[in-house]
Amino acid sequence: MSNSTVTESAPEIAPSKTWTSTGRRKVTSTDALRVVILVTSALLALIPIVWLVLGSFKTPAELSKRPPTLLPESWGLSNYTEAMTRFNFPLYLTNSVIVTLGATLLTLAINSMAAYALAKYNFRGKNGLFLLTLATIMIPLQVILLPVYQVVASLGLVNTLWGLIIPAAATPTGVFILRQYMLSIPDELIEAARVDGAGEFRVFVRIVLPMCRPALAVVAILSIMWRWNDFLWPLVVAQSESVYTLPVALARFTAEETVPFNLIIAMSVVTVLPVIILFLFFQRQIVTGIANTGIK
Amino acid sequence: MAAIQASPRLRQRKASLKMRLVPYLFLLPNMAIFGLFTVWPAINGFNISMYSSSNGRTFRWEGAGNYQRILTDEDFWGIVRNTVVYALSFVVLSVVLGVMLAVLVDQQRRGRTFFRSVFFVPVLISPVVAGLVWNWMLERQNGLINTFLRSFGIPEVPWLVDNNLAMVVVIGVGTWMQVGFYMLILLAGLQSIDPSVYEAAKIDGASRWRQFISLTFPLLQPSILVVVVLATIHGFQAFDFIYTLTGGGPVGATTLIVQYIYENGFVSPIRYGVASAGSVLLFCAIFALTIVNWMIGRKREAA
Repeated sequence: MSNSTVTESAPEIAPSKTWTSTGRRKVTSTDALRVVILVTSALLALIPIVWLVLGSFKTPAELSKRPPTLLPESWGLSNYTEAMTRFNFPLYLTNSVIVTLGATLLTLAINSMAAYALAKYNFRGKNGLFLLTLATIMIPLQVILLPVYQVVASLGLVNTLWGLIIPAAATPTGVFILRQYMLSIPDELIEAARVDGAGEFRVFVRIVLPMCRPALAVVAILSIMWRWNDFLWPLVVAQSESVYTLPVALARFTAEETVPFNLIIAMSVVTVLPVIILFLFFQRQIVTGIANTGIK
Repeated sequence: MAAIQASPRLRQRKASLKMRLVPYLFLLPNMAIFGLFTVWPAINGFNISMYSSSNGRTFRWEGAGNYQRILTDEDFWGIVRNTVVYALSFVVLSVVLGVMLAVLVDQQRRGRTFFRSVFFVPVLISPVVAGLVWNWMLERQNGLINTFLRSFGIPEVPWLVDNNLAMVVVIGVGTWMQVGFYMLILLAGLQSIDPSVYEAAKIDGASRWRQFISLTFPLLQPSILVVVVLATIHGFQAFDFIYTLTGGGPVGATTLIVQYIYENGFVSPIRYGVASAGSVLLFCAIFALTIVNWMIGRKREAA
């Protein structure tokens, strides 16, 4: 990985070396300072997560030791197995998975259809609808919490997983990313398919969607990250224990102190790890997705 | 003859009507959900804020009464103060640290991708867990941080017990969670700067600091503006990690506006009207600040 970055920037380095060759000492000292700051910041970023993972292997007795020990005495998984068997954590985990996957699939389906209309058709109200979609990035759930809850309540969706899945599915960010990507698809391709007699929806599913795979991947990953970590909305809608998601269960049990802390730690690791693993696999898509939407 | 001429035209008209409907059909599912769960609630929010309710089912007309009540409530102004202190510090820290990290990562050749990823990890983790872990690490007697400080002879710091320190902690953890995200945006901005603009500066013998001030910083301004706008919106919405970090305490010292809305709306005693009036005020604040940010950004760009 580091190899490729070196070769990438090699042409820029070559001339700068000749310019700095007279003041080589000075450059190395700033380089050293930079590395020190970067490594310190990296430690600050990672220590809480490492501490959490280490803690998940410690027994209650170890956790209450003064001063705290760094490494666990053994690497047994008893906290994990106990949390999964003695409490309802498998249920919360299942709820989290269902909500995350359900919401993501729904988001992909409806966002891509809307994006296609906004990118490839001309119709009355097109710009207005697009601007409206963008403007709502400024209306986060937090400021419309009560009126949204009223809608969900009047539809009878409180304490259901649908109530967690549907309201957040029409993400403006997803529409935006997909629309930008679809603009780059040549109209001729779509025209050619139409001439061949394919219906509009068929063109969309068979021609357009497969070409949008990179953008769909970005939206999917973002959606998974958002929905998995969502807290305020599930806190409000999932009032009964049977529909708790992992974050809601963790927050409620920590506040009530009804579940031993060693088990809370283990479940926290379960909550954190999937997203980190996903990131390690799809880094490039996530980084470009955020860089692009952030800039435009 | 006439029939033959008419039929293709008729078909054409039919087809064009269908074609005109197609984009709306594609838009329908998204816009239905969007309208029902975002646009309509946003409008209805103003309406709700004119009523009061203690259970969320029966409502009484209040007119501007909720606003009058909330704006004369001392607790509310305390929460506004907390929210402004948090949001302002969060935006400043995010921009300063975000730019710093982005510049350092950009200049780092070896392990650039590694550092970029590491700084992004806190963005990924569940805010509930982030609050929980930091609460644990900042525990007064036996927390990791005070244990570490003690080894340097520093006495116990009452991180989550002292009002002001608790706010400092909340600001710190909030920034810790988000700065990697802003760094990514700024890094993309840095990498889009044409390297040849630095050549002239190097020939003139400008120092690195000089180059940063007179070249990098101005060219980075569009990205900084994006970060300021996003961080402002983020800052005013902070809630989830605070819930498990301090719970808004000690005695409300770190209770921000969203927690106030949540508690008045959903935790008994329910004061629905107050909660919705608070939401409308929050919306106005976010809206006004976003506009102001863009206008300042525009002016800078023009100048």
